[in-house]
Amino acid sequence: MVNKLIKEDTKMFLTGNEVLAYAANAAEAEFMYGYPITPQNEIMHTWCKLLPKMEAGFLQTEDEISAGFSTIGGILAGKRAFTATAGPGNVIMQDAQSMAEMMRIPFVCAVMQRGGPSTATVIYAQQETRLTCFGGNGEGFRVVYSTAGHQDLYDYMIKAFNTAWTYRFPTYVLADGYQGKMREPVMLYDPASRGIKMVPTEKYLLADGKIGVDRKSAHMRNTYNMEEELMEVLEGYQKDYDKMAEEIAEYKEYKADDAEILIIAHGIVARSAVTAIDQLRAKGIKVGLFRPITIRPLAVKPLREAVKRAKQVLFTESANGQLAQMVLEKLYGLQTPYSTLFKMGVGVTGDDIVNKVEAMVKEPATV
Amino acid sequence: MARTKIVLAGEGGQGVQSVAKILVEAGYEAGKQVLYIPNFGVEQRGGVSIAFCQIADEIIGEPRFAKGDIVIMLSDRAIDRCETYVDENATVVYDSSVCTKKPTCKCKKLIAVDANKIANEDPSLGARVFNIIILGVLLAATNVLAIDDIKNAMELALKKKFDAKPELRTKNHKALEVGMELVKEKASV
Repeated sequence: MVNKLIKEDTKMFLTGNEVLAYAANAAEAEFMYGYPITPQNEIMHTWCKLLPKMEAGFLQTEDEISAGFSTIGGILAGKRAFTATAGPGNVIMQDAQSMAEMMRIPFVCAVMQRGGPSTATVIYAQQETRLTCFGGNGEGFRVVYSTAGHQDLYDYMIKAFNTAWTYRFPTYVLADGYQGKMREPVMLYDPASRGIKMVPTEKYLLADGKIGVDRKSAHMRNTYNMEEELMEVLEGYQKDYDKMAEEIAEYKEYKADDAEILIIAHGIVARSAVTAIDQLRAKGIKVGLFRPITIRPLAVKPLREAVKRAKQVLFTESANGQLAQMVLEKLYGLQTPYSTLFKMGVGVTGDDIVNKVEAMVKEPATV
Repeated sequence: MARTKIVLAGEGGQGVQSVAKILVEAGYEAGKQVLYIPNFGVEQRGGVSIAFCQIADEIIGEPRFAKGDIVIMLSDRAIDRCETYVDENATVVYDSSVCTKKPTCKCKKLIAVDANKIANEDPSLGARVFNIIILGVLLAATNVLAIDDIKNAMELALKKKFDAKPELRTKNHKALEVGMELVKEKASV
């Protein structure tokens, strides 16, 4: 059992990376594996700085391939382990993440998106949205929480551990370089004080007791001989995933009830949308926000209802429509036209959105 | 809704991020809503370093903004990079003793300060407190925080150094006041 550092409500002024390290401790995480890559380094730095007080563990591996598989090893041994990565690191960690999907390992990873493709920038982007949801050679049996600031980072990092250990699908906190590096006030708390109980971990391999007497043998397969055998397993996974989706899909709306123009945005861009909406509402323009918090799985029903109510939709992202692609598929059959404001690897400001929405008022979308 | 948006830009190593950290820490301690994003490239030194800061009375939405209320440019390259954050409502401050050119963007007010020259020529100051003079400039130009808020935040950041060498505290406080005076003089002209 680790030492929890936050015992009572504590307001702090931190960077997002620092918040994530504190959140992992609050969630009783016992071990972090990782490899340095900007802009997530300070998660590791902070975790290591806190190590002596937490009585937890840390291993810096030789690369992200190893960091991903080491995390899996720690989890199989019964530890509440996690990792964090970004950009090209997220790309090469996909092999381990795929294995976690296949073997139903409660893998927790914080992704601090940076510009892409390849090395690109170390600053910010929303270009790992698709990769984090659907990377690997599989079907995207993953849960992805997209955060919009430091309170979210704390809340959802804690939640990610419980989602992962409850449903045994890899679970991600998808943030970005802005959130990692920026500093804003945040309330840290002991999850128990909010009625949150951490789901206990278990040794998936090498558990105590005699096989066949005290317990069943553990058989976690990564390889299948027959095509049909694989499909049968994956269909079971899909069923579990769909059932879980109903229980965990989250979203937030802001002034969306009577919105004629509905903005769909996730993560930090959704915050810019809120700024824009307040300015536009002051001018009498009826605009609102639908922000998926779980971008995988999406809260499809409320999403469709919000879109159906609106006269136009605006997708905006710091990527070329990675979320829009996932959302549009779920809107099949609806007639609401849409427009887009995509800035690849660049922050979307409130002003950007104000200008775009005003243009949509003058000249409505037709697509 | 009162919100002040600040862009502070210079060469890596000029202390832009250190100043921004003290400024937002001061805002936080004073009970304001604050948000700060550092922005720099892959280089360890050199390159343009930009700090985006917001200080507000209410919860801040957008983390990145299009146009600043105060834009401070401390090098030629910072001028090139940051004119895009300026509009007709912005106050622009540049260091005329570092920059070899003048910002040409349309703004509400353009203020030239020679902080680098003053820091180097005044024996009671020195090149290392150049950024604190700029902090003073920023404090006077924004007028949302009190000098004591900043002094508090400086203590939080530099207390160990100050206690070891008390003359550093005097030097930094003086630099802060010199910076504030620079803006006040310009305002009265």
